Amino acid sequence: MAEITFDGVTKIFGDDIRAVDQLSLHVADGEFMVLVGPSGCGKTTALRMLAGLEDITSGSLSIGGVVVNNVLPKDRDVAMVFQNYALYPHMTVAQNMGFALKIRGQSKAEIAKKVGEAAAILRLTEYLERRPKALSGGQRQRVAMGRAIVRSPQAFLMDEPLSNLDAQLRVEMRLEIARIQRLLGVATVYVTHDQIEAMTMGDRVAVMRGGQLQQCDTPQDLYDHPRNEFVAGFMGSPPMNLLRVGLESHGDGVALVLGEQRLAVPSSYTTSHDLPKFDGPGVVFGIRPEDVEVLDTSGVGSITTRVERREALGAEILVHLSVVDAKGDITVVVNDSGAVVARPTRLVAKMGPRSGVAVGDHLEVHLNPEHFHFFDADTGLSLRTPS
Amino acid sequence: MVVVALIMLYPFWVMIITSLKSESQFLAGGGFSWLSWSSLSSVIPVGQEVLSSTIVCSASILIILCVGLPAGFAFSKLRFRMSTVVFLVIVSAMMIPLQAILMPEFVNVTRLHLTGGYFGAILVYASLGTPFSVFLFTTYFRGVPDELIEAGIVDGLGYFGALWRLVLPIAVPAIATVTVLQFIQIWDDLLVGLLFIQNTSERPITVGIAVLAAGRTTSIPELMAGSIISALPAMLVYLGFQRYLVKGLTMGIDR
Repeated sequence: MAEITFDGVTKIFGDDIRAVDQLSLHVADGEFMVLVGPSGCGKTTALRMLAGLEDITSGSLSIGGVVVNNVLPKDRDVAMVFQNYALYPHMTVAQNMGFALKIRGQSKAEIAKKVGEAAAILRLTEYLERRPKALSGGQRQRVAMGRAIVRSPQAFLMDEPLSNLDAQLRVEMRLEIARIQRLLGVATVYVTHDQIEAMTMGDRVAVMRGGQLQQCDTPQDLYDHPRNEFVAGFMGSPPMNLLRVGLESHGDGVALVLGEQRLAVPSSYTTSHDLPKFDGPGVVFGIRPEDVEVLDTSGVGSITTRVERREALGAEILVHLSVVDAKGDITVVVNDSGAVVARPTRLVAKMGPRSGVAVGDHLEVHLNPEHFHFFDADTGLSLRTPS
Repeated sequence: MVVVALIMLYPFWVMIITSLKSESQFLAGGGFSWLSWSSLSSVIPVGQEVLSSTIVCSASILIILCVGLPAGFAFSKLRFRMSTVVFLVIVSAMMIPLQAILMPEFVNVTRLHLTGGYFGAILVYASLGTPFSVFLFTTYFRGVPDELIEAGIVDGLGYFGALWRLVLPIAVPAIATVTVLQFIQIWDDLLVGLLFIQNTSERPITVGIAVLAAGRTTSIPELMAGSIISALPAMLVYLGFQRYLVKGLTMGIDR
């Protein structure tokens, strides 16, 4: 077991395709690190560099304190679980699991013992003599895990191992992988594009975009304190509401300008976020759907909206709202066409499953002032000053 | 289909019936006799010729497989400079007809003093069959997921280990396809054997049958018996490996 360190690691394909750009990341011994991001963000390339399947253009990558930039994959002592499992089709489950040990010249008895132990952990004992094609998706996934476990490697590398499973099995295997990782205590780097997987499995989550690390933090810290607009919009389902709004100073306070409506910002934000500086050009205002509360009547700190769409999910209803003016027309908050990050032009709120809300209804909503987020409209960075 | 099958099988039927007659019975148009089969070996050394054909076929196919398999693996799974160009150059050799290069080949092989026995013919057959095998193996291996090879490499194999221990076992349909098609082509070929194997004691069965046919007093029943012996191995090999043949030829199409 060992720690893993990416130090300014860069990967350039061809002449100018920068897949990973100056990635610096430390994975502690026994830690479950999740790399998450949209397609093409460089997370899989980073993992493949760690496995030794891709060369490193620049920077340094070390496992257990040893720089492995020029070390062959077989000498890195890492085990990898692939997206499509990559089981050897001509071998039985037992042979698949014991193959790496066989290559290393371990005795048959030793291989059988280790395979048996791993099979017991993974509940695969009764399938050991089957071929992969005679297994279900979940069983294949467990065999792929078993192949990694028997080697007792320094690190587990997992490349979207659950993406080929159906939704229910994915939830089961999510728990299973997390259980096994905690049981074995091996440093794990897990790549996924599914932020729910990232939030539920990782000790820490590293969010990537365009080859660059955006933020690495515990799941809750990522959710509560996103460092930039991209992380705010990527983590959470449904994502954070991000609106380009104007700011208006009045006396010793600041208010958000939402068309004709004004929403007072608590004074604590004016200092913690240095908001008065953005009076005029405006900022990107963020609020999580669960912090948008629908009121029965209008009150202080509420804004008027109209229901544009409702999505009934069973346990809750997602209501898509537009900010409206006194006449009921939709307010164009601020021209947002040049946005780098896609921002919803509507607010999404969560409502109870029995809410009788219908499309076209006018609703008063209260935005929880304790959970406002503000981002620089140009750079996308959070305006929260370090405490 | 039945009609087409009958048209294809009729000549073979005539061969069998004719071979089961003596010369006089053949001329009279009736009767049954094993005479032509029993006398065949006294006319041409059938056993030796079948052995020669087997040696030439086996050695040529072995070379074709030994070159085609790693080449196909490299072209499909490894990234190296000019790989596409090299692949196209090799594969384009399939377009060149044998007759067009036969004389230059003959001159080259003669200069190497290899026209007497098997070696010249084996070299020519191997060089003619290799482009097709490279093409087929490349296409086949493109259908094998990269992750399978990468899993082996992370598990501790090198590229040759991955080829030998992971790819080869699942390439049986492609190997069978190359073997069958090359076997039929080489076994049934007359021209190369006639030109490049000049020792009469090493000539293949097709050359033996041609010699028999060119004789001044050719016995048609004996010729038919020899032709059946000549055709049978290729047919048996084809029928034996037919199920792999379809899989090997269609692999990669549905990607």
